[in-house]
Amino acid sequence: MTTELLDDVVETVLADGQVRSSLRRIVGVIGQYALLCVLSVVVLAPLFMTLIQALSPPLAYIDAGKPLHPVEVAWKDRTWFTGGAWSVLLRTAVILAAFAWLQRVGSPHGSWLRHAREIATVRRLVAIVGGTVTLTVLLGPVFGSLHAADGRTAGLFFLAVAGVAVTQTIGFHEPGHRSVPVAILDALAVSVVAVAAAMVFVGATVWTQSWASSGLGEAMLRSLTMSVLITVAQVVTAILAAYAFVFLDFPFKRILFAAALATLLLPLEVTLVGNIALIRQLGWIDSMQGLVLPFAASAMGIFLIRQGFRGIPKDIQDAVRIDGHGHLTFLTRFAIPLNRPVIASFTVISALAAWNQYLWPRSIIETDASNTLQIALRSNISENIAQANVTVAAALVSAVPVAVMLVAFQRHIIRGLTAGAVK
Amino acid sequence: MTDLTVSASTQDAADVAPKRRRRRYRPGEVGLAALFLLPSALVFGIFFYLPFFKLVSWGRFESTRGGGYRDVGMAQYREVLFGEPFKDGLIHSITFVLYTVPAGLVLGILLAVAAHRQLKGIKVFQAIFSSTLASSVAVSSVMFLFILNPVVGLFKVDWINERGWSLFAAALPSIWQNLGLAFVIVLAGLQAVPEEVMEAARLDGYGSFRRLVRITLPLISPVLLFLTVVLVVFGFQAFAQIDIITGGGPAGSSETLVFKIFRENQNYGAGAVLSVGLFVVTFVVTALQFAILDRRVHYDN
Repeated sequence: MTTELLDDVVETVLADGQVRSSLRRIVGVIGQYALLCVLSVVVLAPLFMTLIQALSPPLAYIDAGKPLHPVEVAWKDRTWFTGGAWSVLLRTAVILAAFAWLQRVGSPHGSWLRHAREIATVRRLVAIVGGTVTLTVLLGPVFGSLHAADGRTAGLFFLAVAGVAVTQTIGFHEPGHRSVPVAILDALAVSVVAVAAAMVFVGATVWTQSWASSGLGEAMLRSLTMSVLITVAQVVTAILAAYAFVFLDFPFKRILFAAALATLLLPLEVTLVGNIALIRQLGWIDSMQGLVLPFAASAMGIFLIRQGFRGIPKDIQDAVRIDGHGHLTFLTRFAIPLNRPVIASFTVISALAAWNQYLWPRSIIETDASNTLQIALRSNISENIAQANVTVAAALVSAVPVAVMLVAFQRHIIRGLTAGAVK
Repeated sequence: MTDLTVSASTQDAADVAPKRRRRRYRPGEVGLAALFLLPSALVFGIFFYLPFFKLVSWGRFESTRGGGYRDVGMAQYREVLFGEPFKDGLIHSITFVLYTVPAGLVLGILLAVAAHRQLKGIKVFQAIFSSTLASSVAVSSVMFLFILNPVVGLFKVDWINERGWSLFAAALPSIWQNLGLAFVIVLAGLQAVPEEVMEAARLDGYGSFRRLVRITLPLISPVLLFLTVVLVVFGFQAFAQIDIITGGGPAGSSETLVFKIFRENQNYGAGAVLSVGLFVVTFVVTALQFAILDRRVHYDN
């Protein structure tokens, strides 16, 4: 960020001959960045506070007078390569993906999927692989020193940062696009964040502790299963219904469409008592079908996908019919592929909503062993205040999958969320 | 002769055909439509309409001490809907909405206006502002439960256990969590405003604040209406925040309508009446929102 600010300032000064107006512009730019930084701090403040609480043992934290930094963090005696093959693989994959993403952001190209060949230059591959290797190797001594509390941590930390920064500079530097000093500053900023994040999230004991103590893994798997089933069901039923409403002719079309949309006026909160009674009657308490089936169709989905289908030109439809193809061909070869963006957006918001569900699982799950992730977080809250750090750590860990999704599918998520707002 | 009759009858058929064809459906197509609509129809019928109509009829029955139910006609509707529990729940729900919606709108506009500019690294700030999308209601509620905890938390005040403040404590995670959504929606609106319009305003000598109030906000008013509707719906449906942070307490001071419905979910009589009440409230609020705001909204057409 600072490098970009400098860049902007330098550009402004060079571009503008008149000192006074350029000075005013510099002040303006600095003011804008300052406002953005203040707002960022405000938005992230609760996250920082929770991070401090997660890392500090509660009693020690209270004794220290609740400072705005973690106290007496418990560090593991480990290297990057200890802790089981799966977890090593996972965290290495995460770091690898993070560096790959950063190099993509640093490149002038759009996405790895579409521009893999342009992005994957030798320099960037060296930065991605080299960055991962350097980080994994140099973090070992940092962990060792943190665990031993031998006072050498700061030095080793900066060594790791410097090592990673060198690799990233190689990737960021691009003649004509980014000069060496700017590349170095960008690489330094990236490395500090990468090393610090890896140190905190791999080195501290509280994360594995919260993972192990609260059945977070099982709950996450259950939530994942539920979300996938709900999303697939909603997308399939919505596509079929939307297709019928747009391309098929049948009696009572308007009434049926109105009846489908009217379910928007019957949110779960309204039908809750009746639905719980129904689930109880069916013996579906604590069951996956009880979690999924009530959400297997979505009026919002039918509406959005119908809008998309209506945009398909009549000519295409006629051409397909003249060629002798039936509705199934038209649906699978034309209607769905032509509306991939709408369907993708709906898929993403549907998955997000399913993952975040709270009231319904809370109502029909009665044993902790059947908890979804969101209600497992609630069951974790214990009366014992000395466990507070483990509880909040679990909450943070549980947000990781969505955070990853958010980065990976940012465009689709934002398009989905704003689907009703902007044409 | 025969020829004539034949031609006459075909003539007849040709006259009638256009009218009739409009009414006649191809059986194959109707069958396919039925097949395509069946899954959605089953779900909507079984899990939306059936429970709702059951609830409406259950409202006539009052639970007795023996665990049974007796038909009391409309008496229970009258008692519950015009009594203290519903009124309290409604007031708490509305208060919750008043805590979260204006804050969401103002902060969303503030963040979006701040981040809607051509600066280097602006993508980083946009990512930070939309980051609360990654948290669920349960996650943000647990976070604020401990941030606001009087023992381990960062503040000395105990809002969670104070009657006048408990609802506000439960609203805080919502306000925070809605930031990402509000930001993303308002930013999308701002990005859809044509650059020429802003340029024209700039040339007319409008300052940045006047430009915002006089031009930008009216232009994105459909987006703000959409955001308002979403936030109000979220506010009325809020449950996890209250369940996790206050548990409805202290002394029921943070029991919203939805929370009361959840608490009464074993009492099919009173629970049903509260549900019907919530349905009416949702209906009225939605209608009101569109009626009032729609007139002030600028739609380009």
